[in-house]
Amino acid sequence: MTATAFLLWAAALHAQPPVAPRPAAATVPAVLADARKLIDAGQPSAAIDKLRALDDRANPLVAELLGVAYYHANDAPRAIAELTPIVQRLEPGSLERNEAVQVLGLSHFLAGHLAESIPYLEEIRPLMPDDMKLAYALGMAYAQTRQPAKARESFARTFRLAPDSAAAHLLTGQMMNRLELEDLAEAELTHAIRMDPKLPEAHYVLAQIAIFRSRFDEALTLLRSELAINPAHAMALYRIGDVYSQQLQWDAAIAALQQSLWINPYFSGPYILLGKAYSKTNQPAAAEDMLRKAIAYDPNNKSAHYLLAQLLQQTGRSEEAKREFAIAEKLQDVR
Amino acid sequence: MNAAGIQDLGFGIRAGLCGLCVLLAPQSREWPVTFVDVADRAGLREPSIYGGVDRKRFIIETNGAGVAFVDYDNDGWIDALVLNGTRLKDNARENQTYPPGKAPTARLYRNNRDGTFTDVTARAGLTASGWASSVCAGDYDNDGALDLFVTSFGQNVLYRNRGDGRFEDVTARAGLPVGGTRWGSGCTFVDYDRDGRADLFVANYLRFDLQSAPEIGNGPNCVWKGVPVNCGPKGLPTDTNLLFHNNGDGTFTDVSARSGIARVTGRYAMTATAADMDGDGWLDIYIACDSTASILYRNNHDGTFTDTAVESGVAYSENGAPQAGMGLAVGDFNGDGLLDLFKTHFADDIPALYRNLGKGLFDETAAAAGLGVLNRYVEWGAGMPDLDNDGRPDVVYVTGNVYPEVEAVLKQYPHRGPRIVFRNLNGSRFEDVTARSGPGATAAHSSRGAAFGDFDNDGDVDVLVFNMNEPPSLLRNDYAGPNHWISVKLEGTTSNRAALGAAVRVTAGGRTQAQTVLSQSSYYSHDDLRLHFGLGEATVADKIQITWPSGREETLSGVAAGRVVSIKEGASRK
Repeated sequence: MTATAFLLWAAALHAQPPVAPRPAAATVPAVLADARKLIDAGQPSAAIDKLRALDDRANPLVAELLGVAYYHANDAPRAIAELTPIVQRLEPGSLERNEAVQVLGLSHFLAGHLAESIPYLEEIRPLMPDDMKLAYALGMAYAQTRQPAKARESFARTFRLAPDSAAAHLLTGQMMNRLELEDLAEAELTHAIRMDPKLPEAHYVLAQIAIFRSRFDEALTLLRSELAINPAHAMALYRIGDVYSQQLQWDAAIAALQQSLWINPYFSGPYILLGKAYSKTNQPAAAEDMLRKAIAYDPNNKSAHYLLAQLLQQTGRSEEAKREFAIAEKLQDVR
Repeated sequence: MNAAGIQDLGFGIRAGLCGLCVLLAPQSREWPVTFVDVADRAGLREPSIYGGVDRKRFIIETNGAGVAFVDYDNDGWIDALVLNGTRLKDNARENQTYPPGKAPTARLYRNNRDGTFTDVTARAGLTASGWASSVCAGDYDNDGALDLFVTSFGQNVLYRNRGDGRFEDVTARAGLPVGGTRWGSGCTFVDYDRDGRADLFVANYLRFDLQSAPEIGNGPNCVWKGVPVNCGPKGLPTDTNLLFHNNGDGTFTDVSARSGIARVTGRYAMTATAADMDGDGWLDIYIACDSTASILYRNNHDGTFTDTAVESGVAYSENGAPQAGMGLAVGDFNGDGLLDLFKTHFADDIPALYRNLGKGLFDETAAAAGLGVLNRYVEWGAGMPDLDNDGRPDVVYVTGNVYPEVEAVLKQYPHRGPRIVFRNLNGSRFEDVTARSGPGATAAHSSRGAAFGDFDNDGDVDVLVFNMNEPPSLLRNDYAGPNHWISVKLEGTTSNRAALGAAVRVTAGGRTQAQTVLSQSSYYSHDDLRLHFGLGEATVADKIQITWPSGREETLSGVAAGRVVSIKEGASRK
């Protein structure tokens, strides 16, 4: 209800004779208490039904709890619709207002309204300084609205790091890379390395970005730097194998991938790339062996199933291929 | 289109590009191709309106439209058709209104045979306005004049070519859907039942309601790399595709359900093309799909189709991930006589090059072929023309971002991009020669459709390009080299008269190359129906083999190069 609508509604209420008895004052608190219990018991839909049955919907406390219930029912847009008109009418500092602010911030965040989520999350953060989820959401919102310094501060809080430390820059770079904000990630990671050239993982994450951007020489240098810090970094060896695969240098790729597997035989990635390498070098039996190993370690890996299906199809084993394609498709739908 | 179709190995690590592959390539020779944009001097001056210029609120403003090189008057000189869109009112959810006769419409330019064109739109009667998407051409009534089908967000239109320079809207009379709002995307005339009449396939992109669509940045699918942008396609409901059987009396019957076409769901279908992809003599339909698996409708020879894209290897990336398929090209890049597919995608991804292994199987080889070196651009219209007539089809695609707002924040994702040219080095590897392909290639535009054909009949392939909110580009290929060429123009008799779907294999200088006659390809566009083959040093095509859609096979021998060879089904003449 807009402010104007609320005023009209209030005026109309005063003008009308009290034809229908309003619910007893105790009724609303009782329903609110029941609804709260239902939400706490993981039954937000039942709470919504109860609250919607009240004819005192203009009561900000009812709207507040209804918004909270919608949030718990994974209906962020309705939570926003309920809470936005009443949040300023709730008593400052009250539990209900703080809850409404928190839920509004999180609902906007979940609905993808990142800029809108920030003022609410910022307002509630001082009251919940140790809440990791809140700090994480705020960090993600800052990152996705391209505010790296604030994002770093929030991520540092999330992971209990000093905001200006090399570790905080690394972590922020990793999160930025996850969000495909490569330019921001590179800035954070470069800063981290400048602060601590021996910081583990920073060169590796930078190398991932370099690979994605086709800067293969740079990627190889970064990966070797990572290995100089941590010679047992199986993922760095795996990515070296990846780089060589993309350059069609199959022998070098196979060597690096083998090294990666000797350190960590439980990760499916090197098996998949080995499968591709053997397939491209006309060794279908070895390729199949590798792809089946990948599936054994990572049964839900759609790429492994897909590549195996293609290999089977191309070697004339159509029925087996069909089964693998079906699995790959099913996994596609899941993700 | 909006989704970054990043290659993913399934555990959250993105596969990179093949930047150094080029180092493994054979040494590049001199590149004799120069593109010059002659649109203005040729008289192609009308801008194509398409949504906001610097800000696009909704996805309907982003996709743009196609173009066609079509010889509508049968004078042997291809004419140019450029589709048009419209614009929304500021801060409103309704189309801009225009004074009578002033609404943007498609523009038809007649070729004056001297390098210039005359705008004949008014006389031609191509009067529909709105959010046009694609054009496909075919002779559905077998009267010898090419008809056009134009899809739109709104009303699709079948324009019958009257043969006197004018077209008439026969959509309703032909029994095609009228009224309602669907988002027509790709289309292709295709004689799927080999009865000699061109049937009609129509793709639908997605279901879109302008009144309820979220505004920029207002949802989880409305942010790209931290920049609020228009929403979709992810999160928007998908639609199904349509097939209309040609009854032979000027009308069509909707057979979408009984043919199995409508059975394929959950895709954002874009450009469509029809060709015999598995070599069984029956035309299949391939659709580039946005952010979802692409579709290969395999013709079951009984009026029905089955989607075999996944098992054929043309649904996904090399690693089995969905990509944002927009444009496509059909050609024989490795000279094995089989038709390969090329597909364009969104920024942060690389195109796909599906090598035809025969028997309906394909292998994705873009990275290995050296086509994975660029990923900053959103890629659209594409072709595999042999630009330097060396007998090896090259690759061309046009670019342009769908989020004009992004480049202000992220300079590496420009709103306007170049026309990318990859030279075919040896039938297996390509080299990026954009920077060496002249000002027409390097000029930045936000382009969408592209059509390929020899508009000036000088023996090389030129390109017509749709630009968002600009006049089109006409990229004249100023090829300067000694290579020879031959062009093949087909006319069906038992087959549909435009010979759509006919496959031609030309052998010259010990090399064989295949092409097919297409109603639509590139992005929402239609190419010159004459098939242009570069012959390298050969002055004679030793053999021209035609497989007609009817199944008839014909072969011509010892055909001299440097000319257009017209071949009528069953009555071969040189």
